[in-house]
Amino acid sequence: MLMTTQIADDARPRLARGVRLQIDGTTGKSVLLFPEGILELNETAQEILARCDGQELSDIARALAEEYDVDLVTLAADVREILADLQRRKLVELS
Amino acid sequence: MIAPRPYALLAELTYRCPLHCPYCSNPARARNDSELTTDEWHRVLREATELGVLQVGFSGGEPLVRRDLANLVHGAREAKLYTNLITSGVGLDESRASELREAGLDSVQLSFQSDDIDLADEIAGARAHQTKLAAASFIRAAGIPLSLNFVIHRRNIDRLPQMIALAEALGAERVELANVQFYGWAFLNRAALLPTRQQVVRAQEVATAAKARLAGKIDIFYVLPDYYETRPKPCLNGWGQRYLTVNPIGEVLPCPTASSAIPDLRFENVRARSLDWIWRESESFNRFRGTEWMPEPCRSCPQKEIDFGGCHCQAALLTGNAANTDPVCTLSPNRVLVDAVLRDLNLSLVGTFDWMPRVNPNKDALQL
Repeated sequence: MLMTTQIADDARPRLARGVRLQIDGTTGKSVLLFPEGILELNETAQEILARCDGQELSDIARALAEEYDVDLVTLAADVREILADLQRRKLVELS
Repeated sequence: MIAPRPYALLAELTYRCPLHCPYCSNPARARNDSELTTDEWHRVLREATELGVLQVGFSGGEPLVRRDLANLVHGAREAKLYTNLITSGVGLDESRASELREAGLDSVQLSFQSDDIDLADEIAGARAHQTKLAAASFIRAAGIPLSLNFVIHRRNIDRLPQMIALAEALGAERVELANVQFYGWAFLNRAALLPTRQQVVRAQEVATAAKARLAGKIDIFYVLPDYYETRPKPCLNGWGQRYLTVNPIGEVLPCPTASSAIPDLRFENVRARSLDWIWRESESFNRFRGTEWMPEPCRSCPQKEIDFGGCHCQAALLTGNAANTDPVCTLSPNRVLVDAVLRDLNLSLVGTFDWMPRVNPNKDALQL
């Protein structure tokens, strides 16, 4: 059984080295580009990743909750889940 | 059928290479026409972006042989492409590494033949291993993400644990352990390269254990030798669906090995046509697009949208007809051809065979 530890509120997620966030000119959607891979992002993931610039996780969640007028607790859980998934794929690093 | 948009371009800048690996996938009889110029490649990169391509891999031969490599990387970045360099590392010194980083290179895939210097240099047919170790450190120092690529075959497959350890020691983020696929020179040297069943089973265990142990640290990709599989690989995720290759002389290929493996296909050249036209309209890209071309047993097979009939180059090389089901598939009437090769090897008492080292299309042209 793999141990999963929850990402802390004060963790600072950033794109991992060699990973680029870019608009796909063909679809207009955001994509992550990395060695031998392309990941098309949904709107939530895109909004989160656009804020992975050294801010703390709790600040990212708060900003998004305000902007979209949604419940902070639910949103913070979503943010954690998406970042944990991206961290497993080595597309996001936490500091 | 309507052409989808492609995602990745393989830019084979040159067939020239200082190494002579017996499994090289370049054509064994490469045409020695003049290579595309810097300006021609810039046009190809722009046209690729317009077509929807998001990633470019600069490959060869050895792409560092081209003095305009950093210029092309810069052009690709201007065109918003993600740039990979697929290299032997020979010709990569400190200043070249930083020149490439300045140009915006996103990642490097560095090939190794083995972890052991003597075996590595024997396989490469050149004293290259030490140079590669230095190249790895220049790439790390330049802060460019590093993948290590090993082609696995009978002579090095038993050293998988040591090769993985080398990747750890060099600080690679990613390791590709790809069993040799039989095209180009590898097809000619198949008897010397194909691993035994025992080796394959053991290697699979090693790779699986290493994957678990290094999870979150190094991504390990292990590519099985398809002759030992029962269903074919989903080659290219379908012909003319996601990938295209432009070779050193400007031919546009649905698959990098198609020009040598499928002699009856005629390939268009970027010197005569736009990339867009070639991708959408050309006979070579449309020949096996979709599922209409399929014969039985593919046509009525529930797997046809999963493996797309497998690899056309393999079908052509083994059966003489690229439109046949990939003979690796146990449902193919031609599977006997693969089984015969496996039987000969696995029942043989002879350990190794000699191989034929790859030679450059024009030996005099190689200047590093």
